[in-house]
Amino acid sequence: MAPLIMMLVAFTIIPVIYNIWLSFHEYSLFRRELEFVGLLNWQKLFSDSRMWGALGTTVFYFVFVLAIELVLGMAIALLLDAEEFGFELLRTVLTLTLVVPPAIVGMMYLLIEDPEFGVLTYVLDLLGILDKSTPILATSSTALWGVMLADIWQWTPFMVLIFLAGLRALPAEPYEAAMLDGASGFTVFRRITLPLLSKVIAVAVLIRGIDIFRMFDYVFVMTSGGPGTATYTLSLYSWQQTFSFIKWGYGATLSLFTLIVILILANLFIYVAKVRW
Amino acid sequence: MVQSKSYRMMRTLAGWAIVMLFAFPLYYWLTVAFKDGREIFNYPPQVFDFKPTIRNFEEVFGLSLGFGFGEQREVLPGGGNWKMGPRLWDSIVIAVLSTALALTIATFASYALSRMRFAGQHHFVSWVLSTRMMPPVAVVIPVFFIYKELSLLDTYTGVILIHALMNLPLAVLLMKSFFDDIPKEIDESALVDGASRALIFRRVVLPIVKGGMAATAVLCFIFSWTEFIFVLTLTQTGLKTVPVVSSTFVTSTGTAWGNMAALGAAAMIPAFVFILLVQKHLVRGLTLGSVKE
Repeated sequence: MAPLIMMLVAFTIIPVIYNIWLSFHEYSLFRRELEFVGLLNWQKLFSDSRMWGALGTTVFYFVFVLAIELVLGMAIALLLDAEEFGFELLRTVLTLTLVVPPAIVGMMYLLIEDPEFGVLTYVLDLLGILDKSTPILATSSTALWGVMLADIWQWTPFMVLIFLAGLRALPAEPYEAAMLDGASGFTVFRRITLPLLSKVIAVAVLIRGIDIFRMFDYVFVMTSGGPGTATYTLSLYSWQQTFSFIKWGYGATLSLFTLIVILILANLFIYVAKVRW
Repeated sequence: MVQSKSYRMMRTLAGWAIVMLFAFPLYYWLTVAFKDGREIFNYPPQVFDFKPTIRNFEEVFGLSLGFGFGEQREVLPGGGNWKMGPRLWDSIVIAVLSTALALTIATFASYALSRMRFAGQHHFVSWVLSTRMMPPVAVVIPVFFIYKELSLLDTYTGVILIHALMNLPLAVLLMKSFFDDIPKEIDESALVDGASRALIFRRVVLPIVKGGMAATAVLCFIFSWTEFIFVLTLTQTGLKTVPVVSSTFVTSTGTAWGNMAALGAAAMIPAFVFILLVQKHLVRGLTLGSVKE
């Protein structure tokens, strides 16, 4: 226990305190040292239109990616929850997307969505959905969707695996009773499967939700926030302010703000959904 | 329910079609790794009809296996010299040692959490878990400055510590759920027989949770192996792991897609192998133990 507590204190409590301290300071390029600036960083944060833009992008990404992964994951899990030919193998294949480093997934999609020779560009052009002359990741209306596709590809199988495990653990009695009553497939799903899976769904939403909200890898390798500011997320924006623009204090303030938003959202969700471990 | 033959046929086909759609990007990535330079840039993209070559692998790992096709390029795009052997080694050292550290701490701590009762225990477990909610960027900024003071930037120790920490909440929760599955009566009867706590732990409890420990270790290994932002920020030239070094293949003079794909493909192998070994424990780990199988 002692080493656990020591590690957690050293790497969670101390960094947060240091971050709070840093948020009241700013690095001065002239004097080459940190200066106390009081609440300036926090005032700047709330009047920074790029911060609000990044928050908006993060929320948009969060809502759509989470919703798509949940619905798609549930649909595929229901489809694969059977012993048809080769389904065991298919479930194994789905786990493979989870072990590819997200940064490498980002690069894979950079290639797939390349305007010159990408395979997705080709397919979309062929189907008449998106003209080849529109570069997906360099057009502000499509860039975020291009990034979201990488996330959805990598993590929908994660939802499938969780829901499959949940479906496997369901009791048989309610289904037998429903069959005697002659309930339709959709009614059975809505009235029996969904309620019984609610705990599993809640944990999946929590874990994935936290990861989606703090997403960094895909935007960093795929767009670096561009074109313009179309794909800036809170994590990327705070990282860049700190390490590219040397705004140490402001970057720390932004990252603290991200932490606060995540903690509020997650704890609200844990309270409302009554998640218990 | 009695299902018609055509319904089952449709279901089988739909299942295969969807999973193949998910597998396609991986397959496509592999074809790029085995493609010769020019073939990558063909439009429409060649998906099945290409001449496989291992040149990309030879270049990336600085090997000459002698049965490559054509001349080796002297200067790679970006002018770099990408002998990736050392980078793969960095990835392995960091993943193995951080896994060992996280697993050791988590095993002792979660055995204690599983067997002892103390005031505020529930809050303590919640606190351990809540550390998993911290955005990496909120940790990496202060840690960067603390490491700078302690000269831990660019060192194995620094990255290993932070990766172990990142995996601790998951490892603790997972190990606790495996320990909770062992009936307390087993410990208690051994205690009555006069065995010490340490002896029971080593001789009775540990052998039972071996499988669970393996699963936890694999998950920690994979999370360290795939981690990006900590390595990106806390290392400069001394060491780098595969995901971070892959992102440097995009240069102003062009992207070496073939080499990048080769490195990426090679880097996936250990994680793939491990995941196949512990597949049945995988879900429990990913859901923090909330789905009991």
